[in-house]
This record gives sequence, C-alpha cells and structure tokens, in this order.
Amino acid sequence: MKKLTKILALVLALALCVALCACSSGGSGTPASTGSSLDEYKDKDGNLPTEAPEGTEAPEGTETPEVVETAEATDSQYVKDKGVLIVGITDFAPMDYKDENGEWIGFDADMAKAFAAHLGVNVEFVEIDWDNKVLELDGKTIDCVWNGMTLREEVLNSMECSKPYCNNAQVVIVPVDVADQYQTADSIKDLAFAVEAGSAGEDMAVDYELNYTPVKSQADAIMEVASKTSDAAIIDSLMAAAMVGEGTGYENLTYTVGLNSEEYGVGFRKGSDLADMLDQFFAASYSDGTMIECAETYGVQAALIAQ
Amino acid sequence: MELILQQAPIVIRSLNIGFLQTLKLFVITLIGALPLGLIISFGSMSSWAPLAFIGRNMERKNGRATAASRFFTGFCPISLIVKIIVWVFRGTPLMLQLLIIYYFPGLVWGNPIWGSGESGRFLASAVAFIINYACYFSEIYRGGIQGVPRGQQEAGQVLGMTKGQIFFKVTLLQMVKRIVPPMGNECITLVKDTSLARIIALQEIIWAGQAFLKGSQGISGAIWPLFFTGVYYLIFTGVVTLLLGWLERKLSYFRA
Amino acid sequence: MSVLEVKDLRKSFGKLEVLKGISFSLEKGDTISIIGSSGSGKTTLLRCLNFLETPNSGIISVNGEKLFDGADSASQRDSEIRKKRLHFGLVFQSFNLFPQYTALGNVKLASNLLAKERLDYQAHKKDIIAEIDENARGLLSQMGLADKIDLYPHQLSGGQQQRVAIARALALSPDVLCFDEPTSALDPELTGEVLKVILSLAEKYTTMVIVTHEMQFAREVSSQVLFMDKGVVAECGTPEEVFGNPKNERTKQFLERYSG
Repeated sequence: MKKLTKILALVLALALCVALCACSSGGSGTPASTGSSLDEYKDKDGNLPTEAPEGTEAPEGTETPEVVETAEATDSQYVKDKGVLIVGITDFAPMDYKDENGEWIGFDADMAKAFAAHLGVNVEFVEIDWDNKVLELDGKTIDCVWNGMTLREEVLNSMECSKPYCNNAQVVIVPVDVADQYQTADSIKDLAFAVEAGSAGEDMAVDYELNYTPVKSQADAIMEVASKTSDAAIIDSLMAAAMVGEGTGYENLTYTVGLNSEEYGVGFRKGSDLADMLDQFFAASYSDGTMIECAETYGVQAALIAQ
Repeated sequence: MELILQQAPIVIRSLNIGFLQTLKLFVITLIGALPLGLIISFGSMSSWAPLAFIGRNMERKNGRATAASRFFTGFCPISLIVKIIVWVFRGTPLMLQLLIIYYFPGLVWGNPIWGSGESGRFLASAVAFIINYACYFSEIYRGGIQGVPRGQQEAGQVLGMTKGQIFFKVTLLQMVKRIVPPMGNECITLVKDTSLARIIALQEIIWAGQAFLKGSQGISGAIWPLFFTGVYYLIFTGVVTLLLGWLERKLSYFRA
Repeated sequence: MSVLEVKDLRKSFGKLEVLKGISFSLEKGDTISIIGSSGSGKTTLLRCLNFLETPNSGIISVNGEKLFDGADSASQRDSEIRKKRLHFGLVFQSFNLFPQYTALGNVKLASNLLAKERLDYQAHKKDIIAEIDENARGLLSQMGLADKIDLYPHQLSGGQQQRVAIARALALSPDVLCFDEPTSALDPELTGEVLKVILSLAEKYTTMVIVTHEMQFAREVSSQVLFMDKGVVAECGTPEEVFGNPKNERTKQFLERYSG
C-alpha cells in the first residue's frame, strides 16, 4: 500500500513536470514571428484589423526577434515570412479535387491559388482529417480550411472566418423506390436518420427533432442508408450531387427535400487578419469577374454569393 | 460489375499508393522498434540501485531490514522510469498518442515541428508507432530473456565468458526462438494498426480506399474500393505469416 | 603446496547462514568428494568456488594465489572475477549445454572466444582455431562421443549430454574441476557411463571436487571424503576412514540411511 502511494506521487510529480515544461516553453514564446496561437486567442478575442492595431508599435515589419515578445506579429506576417500558405482540404469535388496529373483543382483550390499569389506566397494543399481541422489550424500545420466549409456556429466560434462566398443546402437522402413518399419536410418525421457527427446535417436533425444516429462522416451516413441500417441521411447538396444517383456507387439512392440553405466560408486561425484580407480579395475578384469565371469553370456559378 | 471494371485501374493505382505508405510505416516501425524494444527491456530489467548502500548501512546498523532500508536497496531509478514509460505507452490508445505527438508541438509550443505535409505526418506516425511498439516488444523481449534458464547464463560465466558474450552467443538465439510466436502476433497487429495513422491524415490504404466513397478522381459513392483494401491486408498478413513460419522452421534445429 | 586451499569460508542468504566456516585443502591430482544431506551447503560451496556466489568472508586460494579474500575488497572486484573463474571448471547437475550449438560447438565456444583475447590471435588465427578444434574433438572421443560430435543436445541422451558438458569444462584446462551432483538428473541406467568417465579422469590425476550422492562411487574415486552437515565440515578423511569408521554421530546416521 505504502509503495503504491509512493508510485502514485511520483507519477503525479512527473506529470506536473511535463505540464510545467510545456507551459514555460509555450509562454516564453518561440523565436521568429510565430507567437503561440493560444496567446493570440486570449489576448485579442475580436477581429483584427488588417493594419497594425492601435497599440502595436511600428517595428512589426522589421521583424527583429526581440520585439516579438511585446508586439505579436500578425498571422499574415507569419504566412508571408514562411512564404507558403498551407490550405487544409479534403478530396471534395467540385471544390477541391485532383486532376489526372495529381494537381489539386476545383473552385476552392483555384481561388486559394489566386489568394496566395495575391499575398505573394506559394500555396500548398494538405489533405486533413475533417474532424481535426481546428487542431490542424491551431497547431499551425495548416493556415486555413478552404474546402466548402459550412459556416456553422461551431465553426464561427473556433475559427476566424471569411464572409460567405457560396450557397449550399442540406438535403435528405433516401432510397429511390420510396423517394416519392418523402418530398416534404413533414413526411420525414418518422424516419431513422444517419448524420455526420458535428455537421450541419446534425444541426438540421436537431432543429427538425428527428430521430438520428451520429456517424463519422457523410460518406458513412450514406452507407447507412444503402445498407438499410438507417432509413435516411442528411448531407450537403453539393456532396449529394456527387455521391448518389446515376453513375455512382449508390444508384438506388436519391436526394429529395432540402431542409435549409446555408453558406460556405473559409476558416483561419482565431484572431487571424487573413480573414479580412480574404474578404477584400473576394470583393476585388468578384467585381473584376475572375471569381465568377472560376465558378463557371466548375459549375458552381449558381451558388456563388455576390461579394 | 461493368462500372467496377471501369473504375478498377484508377482505384487500384490509388490503393497501391496508399498501400506503399502502409508498407513503409510497417517496415520503418519494425526497423526502429525491434532494437529500441531491446534497449527498453534492458532498462526495465536494470538493477542499478544507486542508493542501495544507504539501505545496506541501515541494515548493518539495525541488524535487520526495515521498510525504509528495503526502499533504498530496492530503489532502481532506471528500471522505474522505464517501467512508467512502458506503462504509459501500453496503457493509452495508440490513436491518442498519434494525435498528441503530431499536434502537441504546434498547439502548445507554437512550433509545428513535424511540418504539415505528407512527409511530416509520416514522420510523426513513425515516431509514435516506433515508441508504442518498442514498449510492447520490450515486454516480449523481457519474457524471452527471463525465460532462458538461469543455468545457461551460469554455464557461460563458469566458462569465463563476458556478459556481452553470454548475451550474444548464448542467450540471444534462445530468446529469439522463444519470442517468435508472440512477436508474430504483434507484427500481424502492426499491419492492421498502421491504419490508425489516418487520424492525423496519413494517407494510407484505408484513406485511399475511403476517398472513393466521398468522391475522388471522378469516382464517388464507390464502396467496393474500401472493401477491396481488405484484400491488400490479407495478402500482407499472409506474407508476414509465411515469413514468420519460415523463421520458426529455421530455428527448429534446436530445442530451447 | 596445495592446488586448492579454502579457509573459513562463510556465506549467508539473508538471515540464513548456509556456510559456517568451511576449510579444506586439495593436493594436485587428488579428488575430494563432498557428501551430506540436501541443504547442508554442498552446492553453495561449489558455487562459491566458481564465483557464482560471493562468500561473505573467508579465503580461497589456488596454487598459493589468493583469488578471494573476504577481508580484502580488492580481491572481490567484478572485473577480475571472470579471469579467476578460469581456474575452475564446473559440471552442472542439469548439464546446461547450449542448445543451439552441436556437441563440438559447445566444447569449442568458450575456447574460441578466449582465443580472440590472445595477443597473437590475428597472426596465428588459423593455427589457433585448428588447435582448438583438434583439442575439442580429442576430448569428445575421450568421452566416447566421437560419433556424436555434430549432434545437438536435444538429440543426445542425458548421459551423453553430461559427458559433453564434462568435455566442455575440460576444454579450458581448469586447475580444479568441480562436479555438482553430476548424475542426479540422470536415469539410473545412464549414471554408470558418466561415473566411468569421471573415474577415468581420476586415474589421469585430474584435480576434482565432486558433490555426489553416489556413496559407492565416492568411495571408489576419492582420495578424500568430506562430510558436510548444516554448513560445517562434520568429518573429513580418506574414504576408508569416513566410510569404514565414521567418528561423527551425524556421519554414521547419514551413511546408515544411504546404505539402506
């Protein structure tokens, strides 16, 4: 018994040491222009203006390491210093997908390339696990999430988001042979649903007081319907168009009622000034027609939101 | 069926790329964890007790062993620390370790040491897998070493052999023979565990297979590629099983 | 001068004192048999001689050289123990052959490793290896195992394994060859072949310390018999004295039990 207490005390001491080490290295700040994302989160919980905020001293641009401690470099400066904008995506046609040469294309991918060029940095696309997008942002393994992301409340709370640029809807997926019974929002009340956990689809299921099971991804939700383990699923309309119906693996599924309309936006680290810069960039590209042109290339012009 | 045949070339090319990552992670984990596990097993068996003299003095003074004297004589810091490390890595899910190892540096230190690209994710996965599997291997090694009869070591000592000679010329091969079956189990588990690395978006074969469900390269909603990855795993584990059987036969010339 | 001299050797495990001051000496070419009931400390004594256990106090000297002195900590240094062990050979009760080597491999292994430490090893590598090989084959045929040299331990009978173990111990030409109940793990019909080999060694004036329960054999092979009881030497003398006319009461009781 005595031995056990001793071991326990030792373990706790060790854990404490680890935690202290972690804190101190986080607090003292790494050199260069980074500054911990957590600090940023704490210090300025509002939007950052693009220009230097009132309090910060001028030497931001000169980037002497000593001033980093007092005046935090902006996120855009961080991206410019490392010379590359890392865009977190998933394989999601027509927003981000690979062409025959393995090159990332799509409406979002092309716009991200243009934005990076506007910033004067290179662009790098990294496929991420969608569940970990906030971890990836805060851990600085990516700089933005630009992948047909619905601007849900959770997203808005955990990221610095651009203005919406594209419309989307949540639609109900059902087997083709029963589709005509479920064309209205009232008719679906008794179905057992599968929805992606933490998705806009789950929000809808809650709003409509539906009986649902959360699953890991939208693809899993569809598979639930196909395998008859659920009666129906709720997913993004853009995705539904790509995944079910003729020419897909789910020819006997279709989508019926649209439950709401929602909007896509781009997510940055909390407190990042890049969100504002992107809004300005979107406005400029919308007015000179390049954004519409790009949307037409991928057939999403109808969903585009005027900037 | 026709659809599958059309999709097959694209899917298989994609799965091959994913499988290469799986295979790479498997091989690198073995290369790293096999020797590291041995070092860890020696650490956990370390009997270095720097405070033993205090305990012995106390015993000499008191003429008997007390709880305090026993603590000092039995306090082996290396063994204790190593055992705690092994406990932590065997006692927590590998998936959690992957998440922490990959995201922790960026989240807490503000310095994403691994980088964001596929190579950084692979490196972080490899580190997590090597440490985790080395901890499992170390326990198997320990069992193997301690399973070799003490008389073997004594026979070596009496013949004037050094500790190193006894380990490499006498104990090692007998230990290897003992641990082949449990190590085989771990290797098969490792083949399948590689799929956990997808949690930090390492694009291994299941990731590649699942991509066609969500939609990739013009194919979407296709389930069969995901199920087809099972064939890759079966072939892989089949080959590993054959290799282990071969090794077992190779070592059957003696009985330990 | 005695080959082996043991003075007041003591050894405790925790509170239990197993050896309570053992003294004896052994002349070159002589054989001493140690008898006594189990738990009397016979095996511990052998293990102390081979430095498998460290005595608490006492002196062990070979050819006049102090190998161990409980009063002198310099003589207990780990680094030198390995060399000191080479003065002794030990044949175990359970053989302890290395299973992954053939009979010949078992006999040659230690010699080959030791040869690498010789300064002239690189220069005369071939000759040295050939000499070791020849010596090992010679020893095995001396044990009557000329046709078994390439077999692995598990392919040999217990008696054959023990004879390989004896050859292995002899290969390093120890000053004193120790046996720890060499036939106790053998089927009765196999003990004879091993005892015969040991007898032939005695005839060649090999200096030996034998712990045994085979009283008839002890009588035959020994020049001295030492009876141990509860960690002390209860009686020591020629076989005729100890077996024919035991003076100690404990010895009498013990021998009576063994003669049945």
